[in-house]
Parts: sequence; C-alpha cells; structure tokens
Amino acid sequence: MASETMVMPYYKVNVLTGSKAAKVIDVPADGVAIINKAKNPLYVFGEEVIATPVGDRLLIDFALEIAKSRDIAICATAHVKKKMLELGVKPDSVYDIIEIVHFLKMKEWSGVRGKGFHDLVLFTGVRCDLAERGLATLKHFAPHLKTFAICRRSHPNADFAVPVLVKVDKWREYLEDMIRTLGATKPA
Amino acid sequence: MHSKIRDAEIRALIRADDPWEPVGPTPMPTLMDLRNWDLRLLSTYEPFYAPFCDLCCLCTYGKCDLTEDRKGACGIDMASQQARWILICCLMGTAAHGAHGRHMIDYLIEKYGEDFPINLGTQVNVEAPIIRTVLGVKVETLRDLRTAIEYVEREFIHLVSATHTGQEGNYLDFESKAFHAGMLDHVALEAADIAQIAGFGYPTSVADTPLVDLGWGIMDSTKPTIVVVGHNAVTANAIIDYLREHDLYGKVEVGGICCTSHDVTRYASGAKVIGPLSQQRFFLKTGLADVVVTDEQCVLLDIPQMAKETGAAMIACSDKISYGLENASERPADEIVREVLEEQKQFLILDPQKAAEVVVRAALELAPKRSAQKQLLTEAEAAALAAKCRGTCELCNRTCNSLLPVAAAVHQAGQGNFTKLGEVFRRCHGCGRCEQECINQIPILRLMQAAAARDTFKMRSGRGPIHDVEIRKVGSPIVLGTIPGVVLFAGCSNFPQDIDDVAWLAEELARRKYIVNLSGCAAMAAAMKKDDEGRTIYEKYIPEFDAGCIVNVGSCVANCHVVGAAIKIANIFATLPNRANYELISDYILNRVGACGVVWGPYSQKALCIGTGAVRWGIPIVLGPHGSKYRRLYMSKKEMGDWTVMDGRTKQLVDTGEPTPEHMMVVTESKERALVTIIKQCFRRNDTPPGRAIKLNSYISAYKQVMGTLPDDLQNFVRTDKDIPIVYKREVVAYLKEVGWQPKPVLSLPTIIGTYETKVPIEATIK
Ligand code: SF4
Ligand code: SF4
Ligand code: SF4
Repeated sequence: MASETMVMPYYKVNVLTGSKAAKVIDVPADGVAIINKAKNPLYVFGEEVIATPVGDRLLIDFALEIAKSRDIAICATAHVKKKMLELGVKPDSVYDIIEIVHFLKMKEWSGVRGKGFHDLVLFTGVRCDLAERGLATLKHFAPHLKTFAICRRSHPNADFAVPVLVKVDKWREYLEDMIRTLGATKPA
Repeated sequence: MHSKIRDAEIRALIRADDPWEPVGPTPMPTLMDLRNWDLRLLSTYEPFYAPFCDLCCLCTYGKCDLTEDRKGACGIDMASQQARWILICCLMGTAAHGAHGRHMIDYLIEKYGEDFPINLGTQVNVEAPIIRTVLGVKVETLRDLRTAIEYVEREFIHLVSATHTGQEGNYLDFESKAFHAGMLDHVALEAADIAQIAGFGYPTSVADTPLVDLGWGIMDSTKPTIVVVGHNAVTANAIIDYLREHDLYGKVEVGGICCTSHDVTRYASGAKVIGPLSQQRFFLKTGLADVVVTDEQCVLLDIPQMAKETGAAMIACSDKISYGLENASERPADEIVREVLEEQKQFLILDPQKAAEVVVRAALELAPKRSAQKQLLTEAEAAALAAKCRGTCELCNRTCNSLLPVAAAVHQAGQGNFTKLGEVFRRCHGCGRCEQECINQIPILRLMQAAAARDTFKMRSGRGPIHDVEIRKVGSPIVLGTIPGVVLFAGCSNFPQDIDDVAWLAEELARRKYIVNLSGCAAMAAAMKKDDEGRTIYEKYIPEFDAGCIVNVGSCVANCHVVGAAIKIANIFATLPNRANYELISDYILNRVGACGVVWGPYSQKALCIGTGAVRWGIPIVLGPHGSKYRRLYMSKKEMGDWTVMDGRTKQLVDTGEPTPEHMMVVTESKERALVTIIKQCFRRNDTPPGRAIKLNSYISAYKQVMGTLPDDLQNFVRTDKDIPIVYKREVVAYLKEVGWQPKPVLSLPTIIGTYETKVPIEATIK
C-alpha cells in the first residue's frame, strides 16, 4: 500500500503549504485496491482528457476504460461532453469542475446516479491548478469522501495521488497496468 | 454605528435638503447598515472556499494548522480564515483604487480648485450613479468627489480593524465586510474616473471614440521612445502636454502598458497601447524603450533592474512605488536630466510636470545613442542562446503557473523552429520564473522576441460613462429580457489559454445580441484577434451601449460605468429613487437587469474586489481558472436550493423553483464552458416569456455549439411553454417530457425585499 506522502508535485503552483498531504500510490495495483473498496465512486473528467495524447491514444480512452471496468459514474466537466458523445459514451452528469466539487461537498446530495453521496472521487484531466483547488476544498470540507487524483503531475491535496511521472511512457504503463489489474480483480 | 452627530454630519455632506430625490434609508452606509442584505444574498449563494494554504501565520501564536476542522490558537476555523484573507485582499484592492482616486482628486483640486464643476456632457445627467446610490450625494464639483473618497477612507479603517487577530470570527461576517469593501471600491472607481474625465477632458457623451493603435509591434522605436507603465495617468498626461507645448507631439513615441495606456489614449489618441499587463516584462526586456516611467498598480518591481540592463532611463512617479530611489521632486530639472544621462541614475519624481520634462529630455538625448540596444534578437541569435536546452529537465515547465510547455518550445527554438515558442508567448503572462529556474540560464523571455508575431491592432479608446439616452433606449428590452444581457469583460491578463479567447467570447456574445462591454487589460486582449478581412472586434462592431454592440469603457476605474449603467436602468428607465437606496437598487438589478461580469484573466486583488463589489449589487461574476486561487466563490445549490422570493404586487412569498441567477461568483475551466455560463448568468426572474425565450435561444444555440446537445439543466429555466424558443420547440418539448418537467410560476415583480429584515418597504419596489 501507499508508503510516502506527496512532497513536491510536478507544478510548483500546487506545492502544499500544510500538514496533510496525499499518499503516493506508486503501484497501480494499490490504486485499484482503493477503487475496488469504493461503494459509490465517481469519476470526474476534465478538459485535458480530450486534448492530451498518451502515446498514440487520447487520455480519455484510458479514463473511459477505467470507468467502464467498474461501471463508475462519470461527470464530464468543461466541454468534455461533446467529445464523449462523439465516442459514443453518454456521461452520467455534466457539471463544470467547481460545480461538481461544490455538490460533492454536500453529504446530503443524492449523487449523480441518485444513490447518495460518493465515497470516492477520481479525477483525471482537470487543469492541474484548478484540480488542486477543488481537491483542497474537498480535503477540508468533505470529510465523507476520499479523492484519488489520477494525474501524472500529482496532487498533494488529494487523499491518494499518482507519483510525478515525467515520461509519457511511464504514464502510459501506469494507466495500462491499472486497467489490466482492474480486469483481473473484483470489487470488494 | 450611527449617532445623532454623525447623522447630522452626513446630512450636511450630502446636502440632504437638496431636493433632487428624497434621501433613502442608507446614506453613507456603515459596516452594519447593509449586513442583512449581505446575509440574505449569502443564504442563497453560499461562500465556497478552496484554501490555497492550510496554515495561518498572521500572529505569533502561529503558525496554526487549520486543516479540516482544526482551529487556530485564536479560535478561527478554516472557512473564516479564508474569508478573512478575502477581506484583506479586497481591502488591498479598495486601497489601490481609493488612493488612486484620492491622488487624482487632490491633484485636480490643487490645479483647478474644489469648486471645479463636474460636467460629463449633454448625454450624461445622472453623473455618478454609484455615488448617488451609496452616499446619497449628487456630484457637482471636485469637492463632492473628495467627499466620496473621504467616506471610503472612513469606512476603510473599520474594515481593516476587523482583520486583526481576535476581531471578526465568522465567515459570513467577513464576507459581508468584503462586500462592504467591494462597494467602497466601486465608489472609489467612480470618483477616480469622473475626476479624470472632468479634469483632463477625456471623452464623455460620445460613443464613437477614436480607434487607437495597439500591439508591441506598433512602437516606432526609430523615434525617441517613452513607455509609461501602470494605472494613474497624471504623469503620462503631463508628458503629452510637454510634447505638445514643445512641438514634439508625434515626434516622440509614447506607448503605455496596462491601464495608463488606456487613459493616456483617452487624453491623446496619438499615444499607443503596447499591450496588457502580461506583456510588461517581455516588452521592457526588448530594450525598445528609451525611458521607462512607472506610476502605480500592477507595475513590475524589477523595472529599475530591467531598465539598467537595457540602458534605458527610468523615472518612478508614485509614492506607492518608490523603489528606494532618491526623491528628486524638489531638485531642478536640468540637474536631474544631467545625472540621468551621465550617471544613469534613476529617480523618483512626484511633480508630474517636472517628471514630464525630465522624461522627454532624457528620451531625446538617449534615443540616438541607444540604437544598438533597440535591436531585437534575430532567430539565429535566439537559436544560439537556446542551443543548450535539451528540453528534458523541464524545470521551466514545473515553475510555470500558466502550465505552459516551455521546455519543448525552448528546445525547438534551439533547433531553429520558433512555432511553439510563438504559441507559448500568446499564453505567457511574462512572470519570468521559467528563466529564473533554467539551469542553463537561457533568457527565455528574450528568446520570445524572435518568436512573437509583431502584429498590430486597432482598439477603440475608452469612452467613459454610458449615456442616459442609451439607457432610455435599452432599459425596457433589458428588463423584459429581449436584449439577452449586458456583459462586462473586466480585469487582468492572467488568461488560461490563448490571449485572444476574450475576443472569441466577446464576439460570440455580440453576435447573439448581447451588449458587450470591456475594460482594462481585457479590452486590450480583445483587440488582439483579427477576422479574415483583418478587422478587430472594435472595427467590426458599433461602439454603442446597445444590442450586438461592443464598447470599451476604458481603464480599470472605468468599470464603474457598467455597474453605473445597471443602476441607471433602475433609476432612469424604471424611475426608482436611487438616492441612498442601496438595497432597493441592488434588488432591482439582481431580479431584473440581466448583467454579468467576466474576469477571464483574474490576477489582482483589485479585480477580486471589483468582482466582490459587483456581487453586492446583484451582478454575477464568471472567472477564468486562475480565479480559483482567489479561494472564494459564491454558489447556489441550484435546483436543490430555496428559490422563494416575494411577488411585489401580491406581497406573497412564491417558490419560483428557478435558480436564477444561478451563481454569483463561479470559475469555469474552458472558454467554451465560460460562454454557456455567462449566457446563463444573464437570466433573471423578471424575464418576460418572450425575453426568456430569446435568452434560452442563446443558451441552447451556444450549448449545442460547444457541448453538442440541449443543455442538461434546461428544465430549471423553462417556466412555462411560452418560454420555449420556437426554433427548438419540438426537441425541447420532447426533452422536457423525458425529464418530467413541471411548469413554474412567472412573476411580474420578483423581489427579495420582504424576505429578510430591512428598512426598505416592499411598496418601494413598485413603481
Ligand atoms: S491569527 Fe489565529 S490562526 Fe492565525 S496564527 Fe494567530 S492564532 Fe493562529
Ligand atoms: S514567463 Fe511565461 S512561460 Fe515563463 S514561467 Fe512565466 S508564464 Fe510561464
Ligand atoms: S529549464 Fe532551461 S534547460 Fe531545462 S528544459 Fe527549460 S529551458 Fe531547457
């Protein structure tokens, strides 16, 4: 399981001035274990999922595979919805990033599928500085949920974060490993 | 606190017996007078906090860790600490504008006397709608503007006091105080801009102001070149006067960066706008300026060093930014010029006329000697400087708060390809952190000289107040909703993506018949995009305050005129009394005037303060992603919220079930999302069915354009089937059926007066 806490993310703007930092999930299988434990997870897709290549594929292809593997509800932020529809996937909900964070803060919110609050929220592709602000909000004001930033730039305000992966190849391996392990394991 | 003595003082200051309107309930409101209004707003639009720092280090009990539900040694919790920080930042903004106004007004009183009349021309009778509404005074002379600034100063001390440890401790009260600071800021903006319009003869009562040149490539550096940086154009205007008096106007190049350039081009259209704040460091490093003149606000603090490096002279002109320089205000100009030229000394000169003389004489002397330093880097030179970069250490990327791919751009430049660096330039805010981190000391900002396109553009110079006659024309369609909204793009140039996104947003709205206004750095950025025929939006759209038109109101202080226009709609069109009637007017704006402010490149405390002030008036604000670092927004619970308001005619509470306006301050991630959000924030409860149909038509068309479908929250904003735009009728009806939509009430006089404790009687909302 995670051993270290996040000290220095890729972007200096996201350096933590505080005492509670994310656990770094070095091994993708540990990340899968976190997902497997979740009862009502949500996956937030930011605008970079449709704009960022990871090798010869787009980031959204990987994120969708992760979501599909556990039928995780998807929230499409920014203008991601259009591209998702082109890919034949209908997001479960459409909010902008700050709005979904605002709703996640409220434990009494019914969640995007009406099943109550989400106990785990995954984030991919949200602009890194904005994602970090949203994660800070949830860290302080949403004790009822955990956050997992699936982002190679790493996020100290999340509960769980991918380590800084400068090389795209390593990032791709990480994502593929996660997807493979999701396929080989079952939710708890 | 009010006392009899203070009340009598206020009555004298506002000339209460002057019969233009009866004095309303809140002349010169104190911290407490509008608190109930604030708490009412905050009950619908709760503060949303995104802490930027988990610690507090304000006093020596600290550092205190406020993570999660911890409290500091003083007892403060995380939400209140965020709110306190917001108040502190808003106070910085108010102080910057207030001190600016104070300087401008004192300068003009010294020059013309306090009885100097304020005359804004034949088209503007309601001369100072903000000051009338907040203070209750009709501005007739410079003395009245000084009264306005003195009121700001008086309130200010109480607000600063509340930030001390062991003072205010509740986040909602901090927010109410931040609103108060924002409102004071708007008073200061209006006082400052009216003073400079009257005192310097800036355009007023004319819409069709001149088109001025913009862009860093516009500067003709073969001439002696003076660059003015900042927001207070007193010295810049004195430079123009000096040039005119000495037959040098046109022979010396004067260009400005940031708002001083707006105001100097309002004074002399032959002056040039180099660009927004984000291009300040880039430009100063080119060495094209022979003399750099700094005034105040958003001025880079390493200008003395940059000027030295390029062999330019440098004169500071504000007591707010003295840079440790000798104050030469009392010394003879000849002596100063000699030391500037012979010893490369830099000076602080607070006497604008003396500063102007020194600046111009130094520029004339220096220009012929500096031609070598005015040469821009060639591609070959830039490639040689970048050659050491392998693009792999990425220290530049990691330190870039604009999250730009600097490493790849510099690496490619090293190989002679400047395309990517050109793209980086368009998104860069010129902080210089990348080159500071570079292990190979590559001068990245200088490399951009070889990559940045030297395009030049046309921007309409700032036009100042919106005319009363324009308000009469658009008041009704705005309130009915048939003009879909009034949008103001204000603020700085900390843009999330390309600098021309503001132009894209402005045009998307103008072509949908919104009234689009711009100010400050946003107004400059909006000029930086041309259509296929080479025209900027200022050349393409009519500069009137009307549907489908585009207006540049002017510098940051001119933002007051758009808020002023919203007030004037209530006062002139709806004939509501505005004198000392803050809540009545704000309630009208909140419920009826479809206005929205946008700060797409937010960076300064001033922009935060302006935005916070706008919210107190009932005007929602949409921010670009960097706005999340302000750490506070105001958001409703949307369909989960309580949207009960009063029907002013029946005096009954009505659950409208309609989240309009949806949020009062919100960040959006992309320009596409911003477009649909801005459109939505212009919905008002008062929209008539035809008006709402027009607004929904815009919303649906924009949403389809950027998201590919009907809006997911359409059911929240369709009240009856009469609201459905005809073009989309069939699909909207099918969608509403699918989601189980139910009709909602349409009110003819929605108001929140009467839903909280206030001195304003509900009858006052009916006219
Ligand atoms: S002001 Fe309060 S929270 Fe801040 S350091 Fe002092 S005691 Fe701690
Ligand atoms: S100067 Fe521009 S590219 Fe360099 S770190 Fe600052 S914003 Fe980024
Ligand atoms: S820090 Fe310097 S050497 Fe390193 S990638 Fe950036 S520009 Fe190249």
